[in-house]
Amino acid sequence: MNQPNTGPQQPSNTTTFTLPDLGEGLVEATVLTWLVAPGEQVVRNQPLVEVETTKSAVEIPSPHAGTVAALHAEEGAVLAVGADLVTFEVAGAPAAGIVGTVPVDDAKPQRRVRLRPPDEG
Amino acid sequence: MPQTIERDGALSFTVTAGSGDRPVLLVHGFGSNYAMNWEAPGWPWALRAAADRIIGVDVRGHGASAKPHDPASYAPEALVGDLVAVLDAVDAAQVDVVGYSMGARLTWELAVRHPERVRRAVLGGFGPRPLTEDDPDAFVAAIAFAAQLPGNDIEALRACAKGQAAHPFDAAAGVPTAPLLFVAAEGDGLADGVEDLAAGGAGGAGSEVVRLPGRDHRTAVSAQAFKRAAVEFLSG
Repeated sequence: MNQPNTGPQQPSNTTTFTLPDLGEGLVEATVLTWLVAPGEQVVRNQPLVEVETTKSAVEIPSPHAGTVAALHAEEGAVLAVGADLVTFEVAGAPAAGIVGTVPVDDAKPQRRVRLRPPDEG
Repeated sequence: MPQTIERDGALSFTVTAGSGDRPVLLVHGFGSNYAMNWEAPGWPWALRAAADRIIGVDVRGHGASAKPHDPASYAPEALVGDLVAVLDAVDAAQVDVVGYSMGARLTWELAVRHPERVRRAVLGGFGPRPLTEDDPDAFVAAIAFAAQLPGNDIEALRACAKGQAAHPFDAAAGVPTAPLLFVAAEGDGLADGVEDLAAGGAGGAGSEVVRLPGRDHRTAVSAQAFKRAAVEFLSG
């Protein structure tokens, strides 16, 4: 299923998503529950994790499609905005069986994530 | 994009695309708004299996809706009228409803006053013991917490709390005929007595209560167990 590990020749195949700015001047959040696990394929906007701030509890959606390579915090941990959250492998996922290049859009390392899905209206 | 209709001032709501065959109305809690209570905790995503259109309203005094300062503007009758006006505006004859806390109380009232508009309802973080000025500490604390959330108008919130407290919840005044599901965090003081309310005939032959371990009134909203229970119930 998985494509061969292309190793260090293509470091852009791995991208780490950091805890996004949650607005309202909040600088940290507590991890409540992970909603994905290493090895799991996710689609864009799929919820990754529930976090709690001093003001509310929110879900953080995935900024892109890919395979979860690593989670960087235990449940209960307090993370600062900008701290590593999830590392993804973006090559070859999630469209297994399709031969081609990774969409450039999914490989932008500095992508800002919205806290809610794009307006569907 | 949020839309507004005029009803004693602007009334703001959001409606997603979709056929509208299975609409769900989401009614937020005191001091919150649609985006904070439902969007940010991931409810549109979670409900995609149970709904093809989501109608999210900013209750009067909250979010982008008008924020009058007189308590009489917040009588439950007026707030329920707002919900009906939104349903009319989007041509939703009958909806499933998910309400949280204050929004659950309004959902109950909507189902009692307009039974033809509500197919099924999920009431979260809610119990029969109303928040009133008889419990001044809790009353003041709720307003103080809400007041620090962005965009809130403390005078409007105070009026909103007083206006509803003047008409305390009373299950004896009428019970919804629509099937109900109750969900609350374990130890959520605002849901005290919900088991009695559910057993007392609410929603017909006894309603189920789902308790959420390890959560509190604030963090219950994003819990996966809450969403799963709601989706399962609304898919029935």
